[in-house]
Amino acid sequence: MSSAKTMQAVLEVANLDTSFVTASGEIKALQGVSLHVNKGEILGLVGESGSGKSLTGFSINGLISPPGRVMRGTIRLHGEPVLGRSAEDMRRLRGRRIAMIFQDPMMTLNPVLRIETQMRDALRAHETLSRAEARDRAIAALDEVGIPAPATRLTAYPHQLSGGMRQRVAIAIALLHQPDLIIADEPTTALDVTIQGQILALVQRLCRERGTALIWITHDLAVVAGIADRIAVMYAGRVVEMGPVDAVLDRPAHPYTRGLIDSVPNRNSRGRRLRQIPGRMPALTDLPEGCAFAPRCTHATPACAVMPEMRALSHARAVRCVHPLSEAPG
Amino acid sequence: MKDDGNTPVILRADGLSKRFGGRDDLLTRSLARIGLATPSPLVRAVEDVSFELRRGKVLGVVGESGCGKSTLGRMLAGLLTPSAGRVETATHEAGESFPVQMIFQDPFSSLNPRKRVRDLIGEAPRVHQIVPRADLGDWIADLMQKCGIDPSYQTRFSHEFSGGQRQRIGIARALAVKPELLICDEAVSALDVSIQAQIINLFMDLRDEFGLTYVFISHDLGVVEHISDRIVVMYLGRIVESGPAEQIFDAPAHPYTSALIDGVPRLDRRRQVYAPIKGDIPSPIDPPSGCHFHPRCPMATERCRVEAPKLREIAAGRQAACHLIDDPAF
Repeated sequence: MSSAKTMQAVLEVANLDTSFVTASGEIKALQGVSLHVNKGEILGLVGESGSGKSLTGFSINGLISPPGRVMRGTIRLHGEPVLGRSAEDMRRLRGRRIAMIFQDPMMTLNPVLRIETQMRDALRAHETLSRAEARDRAIAALDEVGIPAPATRLTAYPHQLSGGMRQRVAIAIALLHQPDLIIADEPTTALDVTIQGQILALVQRLCRERGTALIWITHDLAVVAGIADRIAVMYAGRVVEMGPVDAVLDRPAHPYTRGLIDSVPNRNSRGRRLRQIPGRMPALTDLPEGCAFAPRCTHATPACAVMPEMRALSHARAVRCVHPLSEAPG
Repeated sequence: MKDDGNTPVILRADGLSKRFGGRDDLLTRSLARIGLATPSPLVRAVEDVSFELRRGKVLGVVGESGCGKSTLGRMLAGLLTPSAGRVETATHEAGESFPVQMIFQDPFSSLNPRKRVRDLIGEAPRVHQIVPRADLGDWIADLMQKCGIDPSYQTRFSHEFSGGQRQRIGIARALAVKPELLICDEAVSALDVSIQAQIINLFMDLRDEFGLTYVFISHDLGVVEHISDRIVVMYLGRIVESGPAEQIFDAPAHPYTSALIDGVPRLDRRRQVYAPIKGDIPSPIDPPSGCHFHPRCPMATERCRVEAPKLREIAAGRQAACHLIDDPAF
């Protein structure tokens, strides 16, 4: 990593391991996760169910609770360590410098409190404000995310808003303190196509205007293609490929990335069979030796029985594969 | 299009409508009149939907929340009685076949957790004596094989399977009564991308093997475009456009169809600047006057506000409901 990159990196995660320690042993949910996000950059973190993509977001934000535990690794926000802080210290960081947006805004918002109360609470958690000041800030924030008549919306309860409006409120709350980093965990998955388009446009604009770094966690490669600058693909608790979005999607180096891309129906696939990946992701309790994708991989050889390290293909790309696909640049 | 004429029509929907609510008893009506009760709102979930589906074809039904696509599917499957209009299905041979079966979105709640796979698949053909008792075991094993489930798992319960495997069980169960038409309501929406590709391929294989016809209901335009021969686009209970899949996706006629297609993130659209259509999807309880889409339509005129456009033929095999289509200024 060049020093220039380190300087502008908002978030650096290195060798992060997160496990769940249960009576039947340690389940390694994340292993050796390393990634970084720069100022104003959108990183798409892609994977299927159980790949560890959400858990990565939770680990960064200190939301792992027992039996889960971050076992080792480093997380730095603007160079300052995030791990090892006290609960109180972490609470001051969370919401103010690292904000999170979840898939289901109904779960983020308290159903029995008016929007105004919730936004005031979020503001006062980190700042000393009068009621009137908090109200003005809340109105400005709702206005910014495109909610019509924000002053009247403040008195509404979450159930009185549509799904798209609720997600806008959640985004407005995430933006209240001008965080350095936003972690968005499948924020548009539950929304309709036209509403998803509105939210994507909103997030693109806000990140560009404010230089906020964003990690967009999703299972939907197409969404990532549309908004991300870089992409990290996860499989069975590890990052298996990372690089600029065009390079990874046009010339994937990992056979799993290739398989994922081929699995997405598109206009050229009409009437034809999709190229499918056989089998399914192994359970974390039952990971194979070496590369976890090897049992489903057509390129697998005995050499895959040893876990490959993440290795650089170019200054911006890296892959965790013994036999990276040759179409990718060396 | 030539072979279209050769296959017979297997399903015909004729002026199908479904209304929910709005039917209060005398007491509630009387109380409502003097302001002591609120009358239950009338929801026109599906309004005057007509189409034909030919044997061996796939009809894709697309639309966002509240467009009535699931209600339509349930009427086609005979699970809901239409408020007006009717569904006609043709069966080519006299026999013990049940012409229409349905496959649901959620493979977790659509299978009885207390039944073994053997009974989940075998119960209906046994009760209806579709398969001689002595052959039932082979029939079940054969269906499991064809749907990609190991036949040795016959005595397992559904919770022992993954989501993709359960969806395969749901498909085998539907096929067990020798249907000719499958109504798939968001049948792959809950699945991970790589598993989704497997199930889509399975649907296409089964179509070839059993000569099945599909109604494929989904909000996922990529999947529908991949799988469908014809498309029906619905908005707030009405068909706004229908026609051959390629034509609809290559040259949509209705502004809503255009907005829907443009709003879908695609792998080949990078760092897309989303220009979403404005506004939320209106509630079907209180739909806008005239054309239901006019409040969100960038091209709406005065006429659209007052007069609902009729669905009419705009080219051979293509229909759309929009005032602007034959407007020379459009």
